[in-house]
Amino acid sequence: MSDGTGAPPTPPSSVAGVLGIGATGARAARQLASADEVGRVVLGGPGERPEALRQSLGSAAELGDPFAAGARVLVLAGPAGTHLEPARRCVERGIDVVSTSDAVDDVRGLLALDGAARAAGVRVVAGAGFSPGLSCVLARHLAGWVDEVDEVHLARFGTGGPACARQHHRALAARSLDWRDGGWVRRRGGSGRELAVFPDPVGSLDCYRAALPDALLLQPALPGVARIAARQAANRRQRLLAVLPMLRRPHPEGRIGAIRVEVRGRRGGESVSEVAGAIDRPAVAAGAVAGLAARWCLDGRIAPGASGLAGCVEPVPFLHQLADYGVRAAVFEGVS
Amino acid sequence: MTLLRRAIAALGVAALIAAGLRIRGTGGTPPQTGGWRELRGPDLR
Repeated sequence: MSDGTGAPPTPPSSVAGVLGIGATGARAARQLASADEVGRVVLGGPGERPEALRQSLGSAAELGDPFAAGARVLVLAGPAGTHLEPARRCVERGIDVVSTSDAVDDVRGLLALDGAARAAGVRVVAGAGFSPGLSCVLARHLAGWVDEVDEVHLARFGTGGPACARQHHRALAARSLDWRDGGWVRRRGGSGRELAVFPDPVGSLDCYRAALPDALLLQPALPGVARIAARQAANRRQRLLAVLPMLRRPHPEGRIGAIRVEVRGRRGGESVSEVAGAIDRPAVAAGAVAGLAARWCLDGRIAPGASGLAGCVEPVPFLHQLADYGVRAAVFEGVS
Repeated sequence: MTLLRRAIAALGVAALIAAGLRIRGTGGTPPQTGGWRELRGPDLR
């Protein structure tokens, strides 16, 4: 079914699956259940939440195994570290897959499925969340505003559900992965303090290196860029306690979060810096991004292969559709 | 021995100062001008 944005028609009876019904998975499932091209959504995963969501969504959703139910696309929204095995099964069975994981190992493994995915005609979308995800789309969009991109700097603040919060905690204690002058550079997490200005009301926050996969996802989409670095906001307590297990129970749905993307480059021979960002509850935004990516897979608007969103979606229509779902981006005007 | 004790004490003081700076410092100065506006219209073409 065409949505008026150039998408080819899709059979209305497509089955979509969501594996991992937490804060992000629930939002993605809701979005897919309301999509014209999705006949039903199959919810899989442990705990009581899938059943509660099924009751909430009514006849549009059912519990079960998305593989057995004949899903055409599967959204993986479980905790970090649980995405690779189901993604491999998806590629073997010809099912498109959208992963929300922000773990470096997950993303690296998913991107390594590229050859198999192309051969099978399957789409593997890695890092389809708030950050990475929306941040990658914004970086790609800003890259179009300059003649030549030299550097991309990303920052994020906040967490989605409890699984996201645990991954956020682990990331700050692990080594970062940045792209610098044609090679990968790993540095200690929690180092490299830099003040990042997020959209209001979040404002300015100190951000630090962490094990974030953004550079892995962006570098193939922006191959000529000299430097891609990602940081996450942290306070003193988080930095000091990063090496210990989480001492506080994470918020079940996550509070407000923000992302910031800065693209430095040249336009008309002059050095310029373009900055964009967004604020939202990370789980809500991530679910919307993942759900929309899954719909684009169903519509055939994403080519077969494994990549991040920066490498597989057209930023402008994607951002337009996200704005329709209430996830809006902003640009910074002034000296950043 | 006294020299060694003084060296260790000096290193300890330096480590404390470094730790204090690392914890309490700031990563920069926020911009004094400019602001955020929604990405729409000509920005999304």
